[in-house]
Amino acid sequence: MKFPTLCSFAVLSAVVAAAPLAYAQADPAGGTSASTTAEPATPVANAPHAIPPEKNWRFGVGLGYGQRTNPLIQSEDIPVVVDLDIAWFGERWFFDNFDLGFALVDNSRFTTNVVARLNSDRAFFGKTNTRYVNFTVTAGGDQVPIPPPSSQGAVDAPVELKVPDRDYAVELGLEMLFDGEWGHGTLRAFHDVSNTHEGYEISADYSYRWVRGRFSIAPSVGVAYKSAELSDYYWGVHADEVLPTLQGYQVDGGIGWEAGLRTSYYITKSMRVAVSANYEKLTDKIALSPLVAEPYVIGYFAGLAWQF
Amino acid sequence: MRGRLTLFIASCFMALPVAGADPAPVRLNVKPLLCVLDKNATSCAVTFDIRWKSELATEYCLNDEAQPLPLRCWPKALSGEHRHERLVTQDFFFWLSPASGNERVAEAKIEVLRVGSTDRRRERRSRHVWDVL
Repeated sequence: MKFPTLCSFAVLSAVVAAAPLAYAQADPAGGTSASTTAEPATPVANAPHAIPPEKNWRFGVGLGYGQRTNPLIQSEDIPVVVDLDIAWFGERWFFDNFDLGFALVDNSRFTTNVVARLNSDRAFFGKTNTRYVNFTVTAGGDQVPIPPPSSQGAVDAPVELKVPDRDYAVELGLEMLFDGEWGHGTLRAFHDVSNTHEGYEISADYSYRWVRGRFSIAPSVGVAYKSAELSDYYWGVHADEVLPTLQGYQVDGGIGWEAGLRTSYYITKSMRVAVSANYEKLTDKIALSPLVAEPYVIGYFAGLAWQF
Repeated sequence: MRGRLTLFIASCFMALPVAGADPAPVRLNVKPLLCVLDKNATSCAVTFDIRWKSELATEYCLNDEAQPLPLRCWPKALSGEHRHERLVTQDFFFWLSPASGNERVAEAKIEVLRVGSTDRRRERRSRHVWDVL
């Protein structure tokens, strides 16, 4: 899998053997300028060679502008101005942008890894604000303050409306990676091992990349089932979090989906123009949570990306 | 500032004379300079558009790293153009040399970029919020 097959070498060798050597060609017309001459179609390839082994480390940086919308109430979208890509791949162990993995099986049909990762739902909770709400009622054209529920008649104190805090969860699971002429596929199953949400997520995604000249485009689609425990921990309003401004809500498990498009135009071997967009639909149960203002997450980015 | 930046960017895409070579400034331009290969592709079939200009009428030969002999020589010319069809499987150089010697008076590197990897782990897409590339 890591090296081209003997068949590839054989085909390449045949191409090289069939290609006649180009020859020295003197310009018949002397003078101060030479005109364009198209050579006969005699393709010549370099001598066949082994594809050099890939470096263990992969460093990349993207600079540009983009953002992910934040589906939470009272939240700010997540700006993406710099996107770092840091990864290391050993014989079996690997580190891929905070995912730590170990390849259990690697054969011509699929690769199975055991992976530890951080749950990504927590990221939205780092960009929230607190708002203070005054309860009023409109009577006869005038707004009159009223006591908020369970405030024992006090009318002057604004009531805090705050998105509850959530912790990062460490999840451990298996992923299977497939590829072929048909594209790339991934199956994943992860369970919390940090006693944070104590739930699990199962997902599948598919992508296909076309390369034409310097341009590549890769659409992708994916579905994910999030268990009730996971969904409720992050997106539910628990009994101890209920406020006059925030009603309790329990979230069941459900299926969400996403679709994306990543395009690149390669300027040099290490620099490209990158444009990407992604749409993620939250599960129906999560979308109904009082913590959720938008039932989707839209992400986009456009900029320059370097790979070192 | 903007002028300097433009100059810097332009210099990234241009094949410049080899330092310390023939004092006669020669400029070699080759298009394209990059071959992008998908994971399962083994070569790019490219027709190179090769142009050079010199301030002195000189006899130059165009060379390809894969060829033992020059692709073409020009007698006493100020400029030249050539189209060359070729399969590309790895990085290589085109260069101009004097008809009488092997030194490179100007060169252009053609690079091969493989997108994708035979190691499936390098193709995995993370679902992190900040991962947009």
